[in-house]
Amino acid sequence: MTTQTAIFRIDGVTKSYGGVKALDSVTLEAGVNEYLSLLGPSGSGKTTLLRVIAGFEVPDSGRVFFQGRDITNLPAHERGIGFVFQNFALFPHLTVRQNIAFGMANGAVPVSAQETAQRTQAMIDMVGLTGMEDRGVDQISGGQRQRVALARTLVMQPKLVLLDEPLGALDANLRGRMRNELRAIRERMGVTFLHVTGSETEALAMGDSVVVLDRGRIIQRGAPDDVYSTPASPDVAHFLNRFNLFDGTLVDGKFTGAFGTVASPKATRAPRDVYAIRYDRLRVMPVSTAAKGPALKATYIANEYLGSSVMNFFEAADGKVVEVEHHLSLGAPETYEPRQDYLLTWAADQAIVFGREGK
Amino acid sequence: MSDATVTAKRQGPSWLILPGIVWMALFMVVPIAMICYVSFWTQTTFNISSTPTLASWKQFFASDTYTGALWTTVRIWLIVLATTFIIGYPTALFVGLFVKSKTLSTVLLVVCVIPFWTSFLIRVLAWRPMLGKEGAINIILMKLHIISQPIEVLLFTELSVIIGMSQIYCVFMVGPIAFMLGRIDRNIIEAARDLGAGFGRIFWKIIFPLSLPGVVVGAIFVSVMVLGEFATSSALSGRKVNLLGNIIVTQVGSLKWAMASVTGVILTVVMGMVIAAFLRIVDLKREL
Repeated sequence: MTTQTAIFRIDGVTKSYGGVKALDSVTLEAGVNEYLSLLGPSGSGKTTLLRVIAGFEVPDSGRVFFQGRDITNLPAHERGIGFVFQNFALFPHLTVRQNIAFGMANGAVPVSAQETAQRTQAMIDMVGLTGMEDRGVDQISGGQRQRVALARTLVMQPKLVLLDEPLGALDANLRGRMRNELRAIRERMGVTFLHVTGSETEALAMGDSVVVLDRGRIIQRGAPDDVYSTPASPDVAHFLNRFNLFDGTLVDGKFTGAFGTVASPKATRAPRDVYAIRYDRLRVMPVSTAAKGPALKATYIANEYLGSSVMNFFEAADGKVVEVEHHLSLGAPETYEPRQDYLLTWAADQAIVFGREGK
Repeated sequence: MSDATVTAKRQGPSWLILPGIVWMALFMVVPIAMICYVSFWTQTTFNISSTPTLASWKQFFASDTYTGALWTTVRIWLIVLATTFIIGYPTALFVGLFVKSKTLSTVLLVVCVIPFWTSFLIRVLAWRPMLGKEGAINIILMKLHIISQPIEVLLFTELSVIIGMSQIYCVFMVGPIAFMLGRIDRNIIEAARDLGAGFGRIFWKIIFPLSLPGVVVGAIFVSVMVLGEFATSSALSGRKVNLLGNIIVTQVGSLKWAMASVTGVILTVVMGMVIAAFLRIVDLKREL
C-alpha cells in the first residue's frame, strides 16, 4: 500500500465524536524530510488528525502507516512518533534536563546512561538552553519552555514529528524566531514535520506543502504559492484571509455580482458561485472615474496599519466590508476621506472565480 | 513605585491578621500552655494543687498501661494510615484521573461523602450489627456456606477498630489525592506516552510524584484524626483497645487532671512530629 518514499500515510481515516465527524475519510501522506503544514479553522479536525497519527485516538475506520508498517492498532508509546503539544505539556516536577532525558529512559529504544547524558546535553546546547539544565520548567520563559518541549521530542530522534500549534502560545516576536529555528533544526536532523496551525501566514511560511482541512476533509494540498495564488475552493480562499469574496451568479462564463457583470471564462468548479479577488489587487479610484471592467462603489470606513502594508476597509452598498491592502513598498499610502464614496476596481483576469459550471 | 510599596500593597494592612492572632492565642496557645502547666501539678486522690512535680510524668512512663496505650496508638495509626492509603489511592486514581467527565467525578466524590450525612457516632456504632457474632457479615458468610462457625474476631478486637477507622477516615485520603490527580494536565500523560513510557513508568515517574502533595495532605488529615481518636476504639473494641485519647477521657472522667494533661502533651508532641515529618516530604507551599 505504501510507497517507498512516504514516511507516513493515512488511508481513509474517519473519526467521529458523538455522531459528529471530526475526520471524514482523510487520506494523506508525507515524504521523508518533508515539512507539511496543516491549515484549518478550529474544529476542522486538524488536532484530531495529529492525535490519530500519534496514537492517542483510534480511528473508527481507515489505516495509519508509518515507515511502511501498519500502526493503526499500535499503542502510542510504541510508535516512536514525536508530538509537540500546544501547551508544551512539560513535566512540571522535573528539571529542564530531566524533562529532556525522560524519553530515553523509557526503554522503547535502549539507550545507555552515558549516551543519554550525552544526547541530552547535545540537545540542550542545540536549542540554546545551556546553563538552564537544572532549572524547574516553571522557572523559565515561554519561549524556553517551547524549546524544552521540542528538545524532549527531538532527542528521541523520531522520523516524524507532529507539532500541534506549537507557536500559538508565543508572542509574535518569539514566534518568528521559533519558526526559523524549527526550519534550521529540520534541515540539520532530517525529520519529517507535520505542523498543525490555524494561522495562514504560519502555514504558508513554514510548509514545503500546505494541506487545507475543513470539516474533517482535506480540501486542498499544494505548494504554499500554489495554494496562495490558486485556492481550490471558496473555503480555502476564505481561510487564507487574503481574498475579498463576493457572492453572485455564474452563467455562461459571465459572473454577475455587486460589481456588475464580468466575463469569467476560467472558472473553477465549486458548489457555489463565488468571486474572489486578493486584497492587494484592488485599486481605489475617485468615484467619478469611468472604470473599464469590474467596479464597485464603496464607502471608506477606516484603515489599519500592519507594518509593511496598510489595510483599508470599505463598505459596499449591501453592507459587505471590502478590504484593500496597500503595500508600503509601492509608495506612501493615499489618504481617504471617511464616509466618502470611492470606486474600487481591479483587473478582471486577476480574480479567481468559483462556480457550479466551472471546470 | 518602589519595591517596598509593592510588597506592602500586596500584603495589605497588617492589622487584618489580628483576629487570627487573637483566635489562635485564645484557642490554641493558651490551652496548650495550660495543659503543659497542669501536667506538672501535684495530684492527690481527691485534690489537685499547683505545686510543681514530675510525679505524673514519671507515672506515665513507669506504667505499662500508659506506655502500652502510646504504642497501641502509634500502631493503629500506622495500620489505619496504610489501609486508608491502599484503599484510598486507587479510588482517587479512578475518580480523579480515569473518569474523564468532570460531572461524574464530582458525583463520585459526593457519593464518598454521603456517609457524613449521618452523625459520627452512628457511623461508628453501625459497625456493631455489621461485625458482630450474629452480625450481617457473619450471617451472609454462613448463608453462603463459606464459613460454618461465625468469625468472632470481627468485633470487639483491634481488628474491628481498624476496620471502623479505615472506613470513616478513608474519604479524607481520597479527597486531597483525587483533587491533585484531577489537576494533572492530561497532555502531560499523553506526552509521556508519546515519549515511549508504558503505564507503569507513567505512574511512577509522572502521576505518583504529581499526586504526592495530595497524599501528604490526606495523610495529615487521617493522622491527626486517628491519633486523637477515642470514640471508635471504645465503641468497637469493647474497651480492650486503649488509645491515648481513651486514657485522656478516662483520666478526665475521674478528675485526674494532671495525668490527663501529661497524656495530652505527649499526644500533641506525637502529632507535631508526625505532621512535621509529612511536611518534609513535599513543599506544600510550592505545590498548592
